[in-house]
Amino acid sequence: MKQFAALTRSELTVFVRDRATFLVTFLFPLVFILIFGFIMGGEDVERVAVGIHIAEGADGEVLREVLSQRTGLEHQTFAAYHDLEKALQDREVDLGIGWDGDELSFLFDPAMVQRQGALSQLAAGVASDVNLRRQGLEEVLVAEREHVGRAAAANWFNMTVPAIIAFSILSAGVFAVSGHIAAMKERKILDRLIVTPMRPLLFLLAVMTVRLIVVYISTLITLFTAMGVFNVTFEVDWFRYTLLVAASTVGMMGFGALITLVVRRPSSAGNVANVLVIVMMFLSGIFFPVEIMPPFLQALSRVLPLTYMAAGLRHATGVIDMTGLRFFAITAALAALALVLIPALARYVVRPERR
Amino acid sequence: MTAVLRLSYLSLRTWLRERITLFWSLFFPVFVLVLLSAIFGGADEERYMRFHIGLVNLDREAEHADFSNMVEQAFAHLAEPKAEGREQLFVLNTPGEEEDPEAFLDRTREALRQGHLAAVVVIPAGFSETVGAALHGTAAFLQAEVKLLYNHGDSGSELAASIVEQVLADLNRQVLVQANLYERDQEVPASSSWVGTADGAVRYVDFLLPGVVLMAFLTNGLFGVPGSILYARDERILRRYWVTPFTVRKYLVAYSMATLAMCALQLALLWALGSGAFGARVPLAAPLPGLYLLLSAVTFLALGFIIASLSKTANAGMSIANILNMPMLFLSGIFFPVTGLPVALQVIVYANPVTYLVDGLRVSLDVGAGKLPPWSTVVVPLLWIAVAVAVAARKLQWDVDQ
Repeated sequence: MKQFAALTRSELTVFVRDRATFLVTFLFPLVFILIFGFIMGGEDVERVAVGIHIAEGADGEVLREVLSQRTGLEHQTFAAYHDLEKALQDREVDLGIGWDGDELSFLFDPAMVQRQGALSQLAAGVASDVNLRRQGLEEVLVAEREHVGRAAAANWFNMTVPAIIAFSILSAGVFAVSGHIAAMKERKILDRLIVTPMRPLLFLLAVMTVRLIVVYISTLITLFTAMGVFNVTFEVDWFRYTLLVAASTVGMMGFGALITLVVRRPSSAGNVANVLVIVMMFLSGIFFPVEIMPPFLQALSRVLPLTYMAAGLRHATGVIDMTGLRFFAITAALAALALVLIPALARYVVRPERR
Repeated sequence: MTAVLRLSYLSLRTWLRERITLFWSLFFPVFVLVLLSAIFGGADEERYMRFHIGLVNLDREAEHADFSNMVEQAFAHLAEPKAEGREQLFVLNTPGEEEDPEAFLDRTREALRQGHLAAVVVIPAGFSETVGAALHGTAAFLQAEVKLLYNHGDSGSELAASIVEQVLADLNRQVLVQANLYERDQEVPASSSWVGTADGAVRYVDFLLPGVVLMAFLTNGLFGVPGSILYARDERILRRYWVTPFTVRKYLVAYSMATLAMCALQLALLWALGSGAFGARVPLAAPLPGLYLLLSAVTFLALGFIIASLSKTANAGMSIANILNMPMLFLSGIFFPVTGLPVALQVIVYANPVTYLVDGLRVSLDVGAGKLPPWSTVVVPLLWIAVAVAVAARKLQWDVDQ
């Protein structure tokens, strides 16, 4: 116990002194929340600003009527087409519509790739409604939307904050092994430690303990910052939240162990970990819907641990529903990853490096 | 001059032998290009979209269920594998022959709540009768409602709901045409165009490729200078140069030439991949884009010198580069537009030279409208270069004992 306490203390000191790791653990999730929160979270997917330009002599009443009746849509009229283009360029509006009395022209911003699908659908819907109105007809079939999810899932941000937290746990867990331990191996620090009475598993337990503490604190900071800055509300089930954060942290350390064991060269392990972490960030549906991706990427998304970690944390923060069985299965699977791979990592710690 | 060229060549060879440099300078940008092109390459069309949705027809048992069957068939058609390599739009979940539709509805509602389905379409009992009444004018302003269950806030579910609404809008026209109420030849033509471009739609890969090239250049500049010069200084390798006739100025020229050669290599690799594998058509070698690329490479190199000047050790330099890298990338519009930011973040956006360079480069390539005055896309990066030269001249230490 004394040995464990000493190792934990020294690991904590190393962590605090290692500015890069410290910043990655605490600062990166906040940077992600702030940058992506402002870039994408501020844009409620159902709120669209439309700019319209009606050519001189053309009757724009039908178009205005159609736009007024669509929910979540604001429109403003521009006297000159050039002004509409400029407003779109300056991102004052999301979609431009021109009407010359005979033809509808939709104007998009090529940079708005993350909303392109939704805006194209909106344009098609507007065109359809205009055609009906011009022929004096009303819609016969209408869709009555009903939200069936949790009340807390009010916007994009509610879904994204737990996912960003999951991503920060993934990075911290994977790099604790593929970065920190692999670097210790490369610098021959482990070679020096193993000639002491220190037990490798105890050393790994100390690393895990420190990571568990700092990751948990980091997730809380991220969560409360999001709540404070963006006024997002969560209904956190603290028992499930704590359980999942702990299982995810050690599970991702197990995943890091897997990388380190497969990629023999320590420095390469860090690079491989970087690639896998970024692949998971993009493919787990954190920032973009998985449904817009090609089928093979959708299939890949279903086998990535981050997909399940994000879903589990969304559930623990009250954003989505999940059966207890599924939640505990995810938690158990992540913990099992650690239980299986961390002992294997202990052997790696004491294995002499190939020369 | 021979010595400068020789050192430049040797620097480049050294970098190409280092796994870490190969990874971040060549492999990583290629990886980002491949990954983002694979994800978003089909995002502006329905080519890749596939949604798991539930469909419950509670009107199936009605005496005249023509319209509800029509809706059902329309969704079934969209769930068939499409021709010409296009994927099916929906994966439909419908109740089995013996299954109670109400029980199935409860099950799919739960599946939607748990994120297993993107949306559920419910055709209520009496639907066909209502449509018939609306079409034959037996009831004024009558509309037949299809219930659309979705998960607000889940962008996949939102998109699925929008697409389902679009399918219903098409069905609307079909129903009205059948009832001889709607005339297709009276439809107004609709066209789409893209702001700031001369010839039609901008493909995502054409928008992305210049951004990835700049990201690769930025990595060279931010990490290259502290990673090469400061390490060489800290390891006392530079000191050996200074006892030869080789001057700091010559060293700088050689180093800059090697960096530009590395940028050229990155550009060639990314351009070949972008045009060969993903069909990018942006003319990156045209004179104006070429000048922007050169200006970008020099600006990022200058930023690297600012970091090197303000760092006591190579490790500190790498840490500063790490901290600056992400905000510089994401607060510049290199991958996604930056809008709606608070003042504090807007200051970063407008102070960030990447914002100006990516804007100027994309305008010169005709893949987007310039948000900034054209002069600023040249002047601001030049100002950064001037600041870097001034700071490096005063602060950069060329030997550990200085």
